[in-house]
Formats: sequence, C-alpha cells, structure tokens
Amino acid sequence: MSLTIAVPKGALYRESRERLANAGLQLPPDVGRKLVLDDPRSGARFLLLRPSDVPTYVEFGAADCGIVGADVLWETERSVSELADLGFGYCRLVVAAQAACGYHQGRPLPTFCRVASKFVRSAEAYFAERDLPVQIIPLHGSVEISPVVALADLIVDLVATGRTLAEHDLVIVDEIAPSTARFVVNPVRFRAKYEEVTSLLERLQCDA
Amino acid sequence: MRLPAGTRDWLPGELAAKRALEAALRAVFARFGYQEAATPGFERFDVIEAGLGEALAAESFRFTDRRGTTMALRPEMTTPIARLVSTRLRNGPMPLRLCYVAPVYRYEEPQEGRMREFTQAGVELIGNASVEADVEIMLTALEALDAAGLPDACIDVNHVAIVDAVLREVGLQPDEARVVKSLLGRRNLVALRAFCGERGDPKVQVLPELALLRGGTEVLERLLRYVPHPRVDGGIARLRAILARAESLSMGHRIAIDFALLRDFEYYTGLVFEAYVPELGFSLLGGGRYDALLGRFGGEAPAAGWSLGVERLLIALERRGGMEAAVVDGAEFLVAGDDRVARALRARGVRVARALNGAEEGALLAEAQAHGIPRVIVGGTCIEVAGGARRPVEELLA
Repeated sequence: MSLTIAVPKGALYRESRERLANAGLQLPPDVGRKLVLDDPRSGARFLLLRPSDVPTYVEFGAADCGIVGADVLWETERSVSELADLGFGYCRLVVAAQAACGYHQGRPLPTFCRVASKFVRSAEAYFAERDLPVQIIPLHGSVEISPVVALADLIVDLVATGRTLAEHDLVIVDEIAPSTARFVVNPVRFRAKYEEVTSLLERLQCDA
Repeated sequence: MRLPAGTRDWLPGELAAKRALEAALRAVFARFGYQEAATPGFERFDVIEAGLGEALAAESFRFTDRRGTTMALRPEMTTPIARLVSTRLRNGPMPLRLCYVAPVYRYEEPQEGRMREFTQAGVELIGNASVEADVEIMLTALEALDAAGLPDACIDVNHVAIVDAVLREVGLQPDEARVVKSLLGRRNLVALRAFCGERGDPKVQVLPELALLRGGTEVLERLLRYVPHPRVDGGIARLRAILARAESLSMGHRIAIDFALLRDFEYYTGLVFEAYVPELGFSLLGGGRYDALLGRFGGEAPAAGWSLGVERLLIALERRGGMEAAVVDGAEFLVAGDDRVARALRARGVRVARALNGAEEGALLAEAQAHGIPRVIVGGTCIEVAGGARRPVEELLA
C-alpha cells in the first residue's frame, strides 16, 4: 500500500518538496496546474492543497498524511496525529499593535479590545485565557492595515521576519506561540498503513 | 424545508440496505447468546454525566422538562444499559449478555459517517471479569464485522492498566499522567517529545516510543524492558490470550497491539479496542472493559462490550460497491382485479402490490416498469415485465 500525502502550497511548499525528496518521495518537477500528482517510482500520490485544507483532508482520510504548519493545526482543531516537528517554516503567532499605543511598553490594553485576525480560534483562546473581553474581527488577509485605519486595536498574526509589521508601524505586544511545519497522519491510517507511515516518519526525521 | 444539521432521511432502498445490515448484526448477537434490550431515547442528564464524564456529556443534546429537570438524548448506549442493569437486573443471574441496535445523538461537528443522529449496534457482557469474557467480546466484534461483509476489517487492542502502570513507573504524578494519556491517545508525538524534553528525566523518554509501538506479541516483550513484570502482568496476560485465541481461529493477522489506543470514554478500565478498514479514515467499532461503570449507578458488576456505527459500516460497504443492489424489498407482483389472487400470493410470503388504476394491460405493465416490479397479474395471467412471457396464475399458486 502506498501513501497519499497532502502537501501545502505556498510558503511551506518548497521545503516540503525538498524534505519529501530527501525521504525518497519525488514530487514531479513541473507541476503546472495539476493538483493531484503521482510519483510512479515510489507509488506515492501527492495532493497539492491550500495549507488550511491539509488537516481536513487528513482527518477525513482523503490523504493518509500530510505536512502543515502548527498554526493551521491550532486554528482548524482537526483530529490528526502530530508525529513530527519538521523544524522548517519557522514563524511566530503574535499579538501586535501600533507602536504609538504603547501597549508593548506595558500600557494597559483598552477594557474592550477589537482584535483583527485570520486566526480566530487562536486569538479567542489567547484572550479568553487572560479573561480579557474582546471583539474578534475575522479577516482573510492584509491584517496589518486594520490598526492603521482604526478597524482594530490589536491584531493576531503570523510573523516570520517582522518586516511587514515594521512597515505598518506595528510592534509585537506578546508572543502567543512559535510555529513550524508538522508531519501529521490520519489516526486510523497510522494503523492501516503502519509500515509505510513509520518508515516515512523515520526518513523525514533523520533530515531534521 | 431543511433538515437539522447532522440528520438525514432514509429512502426506500437505502433503508432496506441499512435494515439488512442490522438484521445480519442482530443474527450474530443472537448466535452468541445475546438478547436485545432497549432504553428510552432520552435520560436524565445526571445519568448521562455520571456515565460519560463531564466533557463527553457536554456533547449531548439537552433540554429541560416542565419541572426544570435537565434531560439528554442518549449520546451512546453503554451508559443507559449500565443504568438499566444496575437498577433492574442487578440481582438476576450473571453473566448477562445484552445487545442493542438503536439511534443515539451527539451535538458534535458532523464527520464522515458520523451524523448528529446515528445508529449504534453493540453488545454488553456484564457480571464477569475473566480473560474469557474479554476474548468473547473480541470474537463477537470480529464475527460482526465478518457478517457485515468486512472480513478483512482489523482490530487494534490495548490495555489501559498497562499504560497506567508505565506512566506510574516513569514517575508521573496523576495530573501529569492525565495530560500524557491524552497526548498519547491522540498520538501527538510533538507534544510528547516536548513534555519529555522539559522533564529531562531519561525514564520518560520511553513515552514517545510507546506512542509508535504497534504490532504482535513482540511489542509486549519490548514493553517489558521498560516496566517490571508484576505491574503489567495482568494486562499482558489478557492481550496474549486475545491474540492467541484469535490466532487459533485463523484471525490472528487481523489483531495488533497499539499502546496509544486509548479511547475517549473515560469509563474504560482494562481492555480497549477499535476496528478499522483501510479505505475509511475513521474507526468502525470500538469497545473495551469498564468494570467501574455499573458501580456509578449502584450496580457493582464488571462489564465489557463494544459498539459500532451502522452508518459508518454502510459507507465502508458502499465504497466496495454493490450495497443497494444486493437488497430488494419492493413488491414482486402488481396484481389487478381478483383480490383472492393477491391474498393467496401474500399468504405464500410473496410481496404483492395491488393495482389501483384499472386493469388495462399496457398501463399495468408501464406502472410495474416504473416501480421496478418484475411481474404483472391481470385476468388470470402472469406477465413478465421484461420479455412479456405469460403463464396462467394457477401455476404460481400450485
């Protein structure tokens, strides 16, 4: 039995592809617009997916396993087994605000904050844990501009280099958690394809 | 008109396939000496909570009656059966062998084959804590999967007491052990490794390995390197017995030991197991031993059992094709005219629909064709819809 592997398009794609290649699974070089790809040599099938869809494909068993950022796992709360931290794709989920507000220097947050984010669940959990009543404003992109135009007091977003924050005069108020790429597997397929999954896990790890 | 999320209708044909599967399962239960019992569709919420614990009980559909008592639609059958046995059958002869096929309700995100209303079929073996009882429960599960048409379904087994002993052995406090068990059960190796890294103690480094350890009796030998015999002997003896007995029935290759198999339900105290087929990403069947559950209702009797999701089984069968075609429950004859012919055929156990719109042959044939009825009887003659062959009705009734 060969594996069907969910591979995230976007920021994690290039390194996912390299790591899989080092593990002996070759994604075809020119993928064009195809989203389902087969490696005839290993028999593996790759599904090229939006990163946020990877946990869903794996949970339902449409893919046996996959590579996905930890941030996506927090946000989607799908039941998949996290077998390995692959170490790449490092970034941080942070709370940020305009530097002028002074929140990063200890100035108290407003009693009722408006928080813009793509990471609604993670943001909710963060503020709930601190008993801070907030209004979460779900956005799908360009979250950094929301404080500039007074849509939100704070944002919760992923930061890799911090350049985008700086360009919008935003500073980090708090770090929620660091995120890296994870190797995840469907809990039942771990059993049904035990040899294949554990062998791939080993090959992916010896590279870390 | 929309249905509530997580519910579905069953059309004729679909329902026939489901009923046929349920009949096959009931037949297996009966062949093992299990008798069907039924409980109310809703129970007092405190009963459900006492059985399932807070977190899972929270997934039940709840409502209050006019006195303000909180009720819950039953989210599973083991708790109601434990309540039933504890209150009604506790002084009766043991062991009790009970089974059920019944709808249950859970307010959770609909998943594949798991709606908010779904059908559970299962068995409960109450009043016996022996290894033999564990073996019997496993064998009923294997036979049920066979009878359902999934003779290649596999079962992974574990023993909760083995895992608990290992966690104590590596020095975890009860609250740490709870956290680790939850990580182990989800097979979250990343978090397990982080936990072990923080502890620094070399003894806990076994935990990530435990999460990956799966196979036949050889994994028991591996386990014994980490934990002294007396602590785990009971559990290991049970797993060995189950594997050996399955082996003796040529079903050994369908059973594997998986130390990370820890089911959500907190009532399990010993054996736990789950069945699966490769084409489904969810388990089909789950169960184990829950010797303390009846005590929560004043019953104090050991018990073991399992349940399966009928709809999930149907999905697995459908993926293999030919499910609906195999089951036919529609009428075999469309009869016009003489009521005595229809009655005589029905008396022979034949499915007969009476024509309601006159006795014109062409119209009858068209009607039969539209409804998938293979034969028409009109004016003393039986006509095959396909091909038009005719014979006198007397031949049928002879």
